[in-house]
Amino acid sequence: MSIRFKIALTIFLTGLLTAVGVVSTVLMAFERFEHEATYYRASAFLERVVAKHPDMFDMQERFPDEFADFFRSLVLFEPDSQLYLLDSAGTVIVSTGEAKLPKGFQVALKPVMESSGPEPMPYVLGDDPERMDASAVIAARAVQRNVILKNPESDGYLYLVCHKRVLPQGGFAVFQSSFAKPTLWLLCIVVAVSTLCAAWVTAAVTRPLARLTEAMGNVSRQGLQEFAAGQSAPQSELLDAMPRAGTDEIGQLSKGLRAMLDTLRTQWAALRRLDHFRREGVSNLSHDLRSPLTATVACLETLENRWAGDDARTEDRRLVEVALRNTHNAARLVQSLGDLAQLDEPQFALRTELMDVNELLDDLVLRFTERAERLGVRMQASAAADAMLLVAVDVELLERAVANLVDNALKFCPSGGCIRLGAVAHGAQVWVQVQDDGPGIPSEDLPHLFDRFYQSRHSVAPATGEGGKGLGLAIVKRIVELHGGEVMVHKVVPTGTCVTLALPSPSVAPAQT
Amino acid sequence: MKRILVAEDQADIRALLTLNLQGAGYAVTEVADGVAALAQETSQAHDLLILDLMMPGMDGLEVCKSLRAKGNSTPILMLTAKSTELDRVLGLELGADDYLTKPFSLAELLARVKALLRRAELLRNAQQAHPAPAQTLRNGSLEIWMAKRQVQLRQANLDLTALEFDLLLYFAQHPGHVFSRAQLLNAVWGYTHDGYEHTVTTHINRLRAKMEADPLRPEFILTVRGAGYKMREAPR
Repeated sequence: MSIRFKIALTIFLTGLLTAVGVVSTVLMAFERFEHEATYYRASAFLERVVAKHPDMFDMQERFPDEFADFFRSLVLFEPDSQLYLLDSAGTVIVSTGEAKLPKGFQVALKPVMESSGPEPMPYVLGDDPERMDASAVIAARAVQRNVILKNPESDGYLYLVCHKRVLPQGGFAVFQSSFAKPTLWLLCIVVAVSTLCAAWVTAAVTRPLARLTEAMGNVSRQGLQEFAAGQSAPQSELLDAMPRAGTDEIGQLSKGLRAMLDTLRTQWAALRRLDHFRREGVSNLSHDLRSPLTATVACLETLENRWAGDDARTEDRRLVEVALRNTHNAARLVQSLGDLAQLDEPQFALRTELMDVNELLDDLVLRFTERAERLGVRMQASAAADAMLLVAVDVELLERAVANLVDNALKFCPSGGCIRLGAVAHGAQVWVQVQDDGPGIPSEDLPHLFDRFYQSRHSVAPATGEGGKGLGLAIVKRIVELHGGEVMVHKVVPTGTCVTLALPSPSVAPAQT
Repeated sequence: MKRILVAEDQADIRALLTLNLQGAGYAVTEVADGVAALAQETSQAHDLLILDLMMPGMDGLEVCKSLRAKGNSTPILMLTAKSTELDRVLGLELGADDYLTKPFSLAELLARVKALLRRAELLRNAQQAHPAPAQTLRNGSLEIWMAKRQVQLRQANLDLTALEFDLLLYFAQHPGHVFSRAQLLNAVWGYTHDGYEHTVTTHINRLRAKMEADPLRPEFILTVRGAGYKMREAPR
């Protein structure tokens, strides 16, 4: 449900409620007005009757039959009204109504007292002897038996019941009345107009919002790509797509978004600069460390060669070996750092070749078999002998990635263990898997396994191989990302770890050059 | 005695290289920058140049470029502290024959030097018009003239790089013999170190792309799963 619709609906409903309220108020007022007018007429009528015929009880007692006729004649021209003569307890003595009332029928005395009391009332509702289910407007006047001797107590009352005009069937019949109809039309028009106005206003409000949304969508869709493409050009056209800032809230919002984008842009640029410096820094550091390392390695190797057959130098040879081993580790770390920095370069390009990944894995097994045998570990390439699984990869990099995984597996694999390399087609991907049956990786380390410089606290592996400080797996991850794939790792039951490199299958075989 | 020119701006590394190359029985000339290297090489020929990539004044790539432009074909071994693809590709495109990334081991360097010199020797022998009987290897429609370093396949000349030719020749000389990548690396490239095997894979891929009708189902250089690669037996 869009905001526009919500606002329009709210305004429409408000209008409708207002209309209903107005209509009911009008109806109530109308009813009251009717009651008052009726009551006023009835009171006046009774006033005149009592003034003209104060000796009603005498007449009734002396000539009851004639009195009944006379009584009826009083309301001859008021078909909607019935006149009753009540005694002081409210019992009907004479009535003009058609209905046969049971003997001793009484009406409620309270309205009678109210109407005949000294207080002027706007109107009074009381019992209608003919229709006891509904109250009607009544008027009453006290009548004395003895006109000469004024009692403080009334001896009886004249009681006039004004029936409501009977309306046609149906609840909305009231609207048919000449009074309600124009009002109703007016109300409908008002509600319709206000709804339309609301719709127009909301449209006016939400149109810039929609434009803003579109502009933001563009930014989030294209902006990052633009940045990723390495263009630092400001997204002026995207910003221009935003509504010009006005002074209203939308304008403020637009301004805010613009400012936000600007901030994002500057931050992004700053980040990119930083990242560039970092890469450059690491790259340069790696570069600058190579020369001294080269010299050191060369020195140590020269010494080693010189003392190769010299028994007197056994101790020295051992020292040189230690120094050489450590220097090699340092060199490898430096190399890995430099390589990682280089793989991070945005302009780094793969040189892909189409080849059978099984062949690559076979060759890798061959490459590592000797080393694995020294450690008492078996290497296996588990692939069908005739299966061909094509991938488009940078052979050097992919081999390096898998080699790093094998390196890692060898570190953790106990003697007598087994490392399996395999590849399977998996949907639109080729999964290259390296599985060992070593002690496995603690679960808390799994998510960080491929982070740079992350090392398991439980790791007791010597710092050898690529970087040795958790750089090897970071390089694996980067290489796989460059290929447009992803790295997954999971534990194997009962023991061991399986790392999967999911590479995209080559969609079209590239032309062989 | 083979003469080697070492151009390296770091005095320590230069001294160590010289020491070890002399120990291996080569005559060494040292220079500290690219300009001097160029001057040395033009004044007297060497059998091999070892150039550092990053040198003040004139870097290794430029020396390489200008020598090749003059038609000098002395083998060049590049030493680079960067391992970026750019350097490798550029170095090899601009005429370096091989490269080594710092830090390297001396044994590796000496092996590379030996391999480069051997290859140059073969090339020279081939170019000198020895009236020696031209040795030809045949394998079906594949013909290799070793002396001319020429290859014909189905009566058409194949255009191969020096390394590709050496690799093909090695295969052709031992038809039916299975070699692992490490063995090939050792025999053809003269490398002894782990970590360069992908070079073999890449070159075999390229050779197949140039020779085979369907490089993924080769008929000459076959894959032996779990063992390595071999040239097919010549059809009788």
